[in-house]
Amino acid sequence: MNSLRVTPKSFLSPGIFLLILVLLAASPLYVSPYTIVLLTTIFMFVILTVSWAIFSGPTGYISLAPAAFFGVGIYITAMLGKELPLLVVVGIGGLASFVLALIIGALTLRLRGIYFAILTFGLVELIRHFLLFWETNITGTRGRIVVLVENDVIFYIMLAILVLLMLTTYFLRRSKFGLALQSIGENEEAAAHRGINVTMVKVIVFAISAIFMGAAGAIMATKWTYIDPYIAFNPLFSFLPALMAIFGGMGQLYGPVIGAVIFTYLEEVLTTRFPYYYMLIFGVVLVVAILYLPNGLVGLLPRLWRRRWRKGGSAKQNAST
Amino acid sequence: MIKIILDVVVAGLLMGGIYALIAVGFSLQYGVARVLNIAHGEFIMIGAFITWTMYTVFGINPLVSLAIVGPIIFIIGFLLHKVLFARLRISSPSPAAYEGKSLLAAFGLLYIIQNVAILIWGAEVKGYSYLTSSFSLWGAVFATNRLVATLLAIGIGLAFYLFLARARIGKAIRAAAQDPATASLMGVNINLVLALCFGLGALLAGFGGSLISMMYSIQPAMGFQYTIIAIIVVVLGGLGSILGSFIGGFILGLVGSIVAYWQPALSLVAYYVIFILLLLIRPAGIMGK
Amino acid sequence: MNKKLLLIPLALLLAISLVAIGCPATPTTPPTTPPTTTPPTEPTTPPPDDIDTRDSIVIGQAVSLSGPNYVIHASGAMVPQTLWVEQVNAEGGIYVEEYGKKLPIEWIQYDDKSDHGTMVKLLEKLILEDKVDFIFPPCSTSWLFAAAPIANKYEYVMLGAEGGAESLEELVQDLPYVFLVLNYSNTQIPVLADQFVEWGVKTVAINFLEDLHGVEYSNRALSELTKRGIEVPVIKSHPFEIQDMSPIIKAAQDANVDAFCNMTYPGQNILVTAQAIELGYNPKVFFGTVGPFALWFRDIFTAPTIEGLIGGGAWNKKSSPAAAEFYDASMDRFGEGGIDMWGNLYYWASLQFFQQAIEKAGTLDQKVIRDIIATETFDTCLGPTWFDEKQRLAEECHPGEIGQWINGEWEVILPKDKATAEPIYPKPPWPTP
Repeated sequence: MNSLRVTPKSFLSPGIFLLILVLLAASPLYVSPYTIVLLTTIFMFVILTVSWAIFSGPTGYISLAPAAFFGVGIYITAMLGKELPLLVVVGIGGLASFVLALIIGALTLRLRGIYFAILTFGLVELIRHFLLFWETNITGTRGRIVVLVENDVIFYIMLAILVLLMLTTYFLRRSKFGLALQSIGENEEAAAHRGINVTMVKVIVFAISAIFMGAAGAIMATKWTYIDPYIAFNPLFSFLPALMAIFGGMGQLYGPVIGAVIFTYLEEVLTTRFPYYYMLIFGVVLVVAILYLPNGLVGLLPRLWRRRWRKGGSAKQNAST
Repeated sequence: MIKIILDVVVAGLLMGGIYALIAVGFSLQYGVARVLNIAHGEFIMIGAFITWTMYTVFGINPLVSLAIVGPIIFIIGFLLHKVLFARLRISSPSPAAYEGKSLLAAFGLLYIIQNVAILIWGAEVKGYSYLTSSFSLWGAVFATNRLVATLLAIGIGLAFYLFLARARIGKAIRAAAQDPATASLMGVNINLVLALCFGLGALLAGFGGSLISMMYSIQPAMGFQYTIIAIIVVVLGGLGSILGSFIGGFILGLVGSIVAYWQPALSLVAYYVIFILLLLIRPAGIMGK
Repeated sequence: MNKKLLLIPLALLLAISLVAIGCPATPTTPPTTPPTTTPPTEPTTPPPDDIDTRDSIVIGQAVSLSGPNYVIHASGAMVPQTLWVEQVNAEGGIYVEEYGKKLPIEWIQYDDKSDHGTMVKLLEKLILEDKVDFIFPPCSTSWLFAAAPIANKYEYVMLGAEGGAESLEELVQDLPYVFLVLNYSNTQIPVLADQFVEWGVKTVAINFLEDLHGVEYSNRALSELTKRGIEVPVIKSHPFEIQDMSPIIKAAQDANVDAFCNMTYPGQNILVTAQAIELGYNPKVFFGTVGPFALWFRDIFTAPTIEGLIGGGAWNKKSSPAAAEFYDASMDRFGEGGIDMWGNLYYWASLQFFQQAIEKAGTLDQKVIRDIIATETFDTCLGPTWFDEKQRLAEECHPGEIGQWINGEWEVILPKDKATAEPIYPKPPWPTP
């Protein structure tokens, strides 16, 4: 592991960071139109997973609320998308999720462990069923059509949200909040003793993480074209971020990113290549990964690196392409 | 008026019997084996489909099928624990890590089992008619198959409770639930007990599936909704409390029935409201310590 | 240290984009798509540039092959679509003049996992990356809603299958490439309401599913019935997850209505029928929209039990010789599970229509084919078939709107000029077990 440190440090300077950003931002110029669609989906899952991990990673609270925040964003676009400019709608989507997360957080973050997980899950279901009842029986709404937006525009907004999320994650980790959150995860009572306002820290970080989920939902809705409560508040979007983060490995920041990217890509390949066996293969991959990769995919990386390194200098070339 | 009250209360109890049965299995798997088995509903589905196959292909009475469904699903559950969950438990650094991982593994199982069921039985909605007569209670009318299913559910639940309370292995299970470390020191083969618990939980789910197939239509994607019911009931009764789950099932059935009398569309909303309120006010559940 | 951690994910993203450059748009099929730039109306169209390489017509479909929505597809349009592809290929393919030969069909299916977002993404993959020649629709009304704007955006002809709704009809007016095939509430409910008046039905209970289908059918029924002076004292809804229909049945029973109408899907219609039988509830009319039209529905309850049950539809072997031929072919290929006597003849007709439109166009150009579909009349299993000015399969072509189980056969009863049998009223009571 030590021998590696040299390479990334010199390799990944802020200049490279910008270069990657520029390369990604310019990708509509040089990749196929569908790759843009696929990248947008991958970004979406990376956003969901990383924002899930911002809160759940350090604290160990398994939140199953992402579908609520994501769904609120979707619904904001479905309701306001025709009236307001797109960026404003995305902003409102993020803000609405923030507010919802403040309320949910204040209500629920007293609970711990598995109780918190199932409570957040219940909240998503409650929102969905209540909305469903309200729309069919009170307002008589029949699902909503969303305005179509150019794929490139969606791509750029999604990329912007992702960059903002990465920056937020980076600064949050180094801020007082991040350190406080870390100590809460290690020992909540001790943290409270040290004078940390445990509840406030938890609620605020929880709410910040929701902003990005809401914004991602708001922009993704324009891609999905038709919205009803079943689509917007699909509980799968609560489970997937958690799965992807654990799949990738929660020990490092890049774990959730790797998890989300590989998970999404795997799904894409399976649903298109093996449509009738998609669930079977996917399930087997999941189970095998859990059995044999105890620290997630990230746990695999050091092992692979080491093996490659021992093989000799040619590995360096491979790694940098 | 009496008819309405009877209608609502008896319907609730009839619903509650099934809820109780599936929740007890779920509770056993979580309370002892520490697996939040999100694939619980898939075992219900398998039970339902085996019963359906027995009835429509071989003409075997669904009640007789219980004797076939039980062992099959028990063995599946037992082996799954041996092959998968036991290994996860050993490799996990902490109980919390194990809970997270077993949840994930169960999620994978959900996908696998559902896909296999589609490959075997196809995706269509299936059903059969069994005991379609009705019985009347002071003017309120109910389906016979539900009464039979509920009585069986209660019977199975009681037998299971006695088994836990009286049988030697039952005592080992309870010891393992309370304190796995001490239990294994006392000579309890903890891996065997946990695998037994997981298998028994699956068996109860399978029984639930058999009974459900007598009353309702079935399809491979049906499992998850029952898993959700099981989660709600188990929380209602207190996580890990077998008796609480049993009582919670009936309470949820009653609540659902009362709300449905007024507006069926709101019964699920009511489930979640109760669930959330209870978690906020008394997270330990009605029977929790 | 932390900075490094932040950069690694971005490096990963870079890797993806590099991969994307490395393999742009890998087509799973030979490079296809004829030139679409030439205005099709010009008499001298140059030969397509893939005239030497093309050896098939690729049809792509993003549809639910797993999850809860699969059941609707598996017992619905999958049957005619599979049969059609097999039959066309057995004959060597579709003759396309531009290529001067028959081109067999290659059918690519992707699984949307019963998730709308995935369906939309995969539909774009089929169009943008696989560059398929044509698309088949996804399954169920809300999925059609989501797919329609995408198909239209890329100017791909889409003939709808399972699903239809009055609000979809409004949407389609702005989408020239989308056509609706299946009949729905706007033609079904009025004839049913007229029949209720004729029978002397005075009161109706409505039980609907909380989705687009249920909401639209119940709204339409409410307005059509009250317009005719029929009262609707009971109107209840249920979400997908509900298993116990007995409170709704008891409400209808207590109100003593003449007709009990269930605007819901197969699983729920099975539940409500089974529970009405168990509770001995015998209204004079028992109606369910989706489900009763299937042979497997009859077999769950046995023929004598559901005698007189009414449902959405409808066609049967007696509708036409071509219908009988299709019925037998479905039965041979898929067994009783493949018999859907509401939609499948409609979908079958749309595929026959589609084939003739391609043959007539002599090209694979979407615009030319769209114009032909919008204006021409072809002979199909429904007789002369055309699409009306609202891009719907014309009402005159429908084989039937409402069906009823009579003597173990699914008979078309409405509209009267297409009926294959006289309706039964009132429904005989469920046989006592």
